[in-house]
Amino acid sequence: MVHFTAEEKVAVVSLWAKVNVELVGGEVLGRLLVVYPWTQRFFDSFGNLSSESAIMGNPKVKAHGKKVLSSFGNAVKHMDDLKDTFAELSELHCDKLHVDPENFKLLGNMISIVLATHFSKEFTPHMQAAWQKLTTAVANALAHKYH
Amino acid sequence: MLSAQERAQVAQVWDLIAGHEASFGAELLLRLFTVYPSTKSYFKHLGFCPDETQLLTHGQRMLEAVGVAVQHMDNLRAALSPLADLHAQVLRVDPSNFPLLIQCFQVVLASHLQGEFTVEMQAAWDKFLTGVAVVLTEKYR
Repeated sequence: MVHFTAEEKVAVVSLWAKVNVELVGGEVLGRLLVVYPWTQRFFDSFGNLSSESAIMGNPKVKAHGKKVLSSFGNAVKHMDDLKDTFAELSELHCDKLHVDPENFKLLGNMISIVLATHFSKEFTPHMQAAWQKLTTAVANALAHKYH
Repeated sequence: MLSAQERAQVAQVWDLIAGHEASFGAELLLRLFTVYPSTKSYFKHLGFCPDETQLLTHGQRMLEAVGVAVQHMDNLRAALSPLADLHAQVLRVDPSNFPLLIQCFQVVLASHLQGEFTVEMQAAWDKFLTGVAVVLTEKYR
């Protein structure tokens, strides 16, 4: 089980309180689909993903991005209990969605980059380290039930 | 490998870094060591807690090499050949570390450029730096 120090928890929680989940979620997913185009393979039903502007402006991308990032909000509330918190979602991603867990790492990295664009200097190396620890732990929790 | 548009994006971002290689490089290394502590294993010569001078010196060297890559995007193999030899024969940095450095590079760009760090810039730089990493590890075996 991953152990977060008190400072790491404070860092994550304090930054999360300022995150516009709808805006940031859409940006994170949009950037993922643009920078790593092969990730579009999971989103055939999302309509127009033919260009950078189409992707970033796509309402389904924004809505799904918000959904995914909201789930991260749950992670922030349960940092000591991520495997249980994401057990059901892990089964879903394996059994129904068939998502290679590598994609969870890509998404996690994208969250850090987008947070950096929004929070700039406030996204210090220690802040980045705390978030990297969280996104890695969430990725592992989501992969935990794979079989 | 890089389209004309992508090269333009790379060059545009480099214009913002040029002249600030040392401070940019120092921040890059500081983030790398803080977020991915195992990477410090390759920098024993900088000591367990590299000081600012060491980070600036080494950071500058690394960013200047990136600058060389930017100037020779259409011929990375030739331009980076000596560095590729160095990495293959002397440094032997495990290839898995290059994505970690690239991630930190993107975070530094993002935190400095903020909203101006467009998705096209991010895509072009990710592709460009990944290409550099491929060239630097190509002679490993």
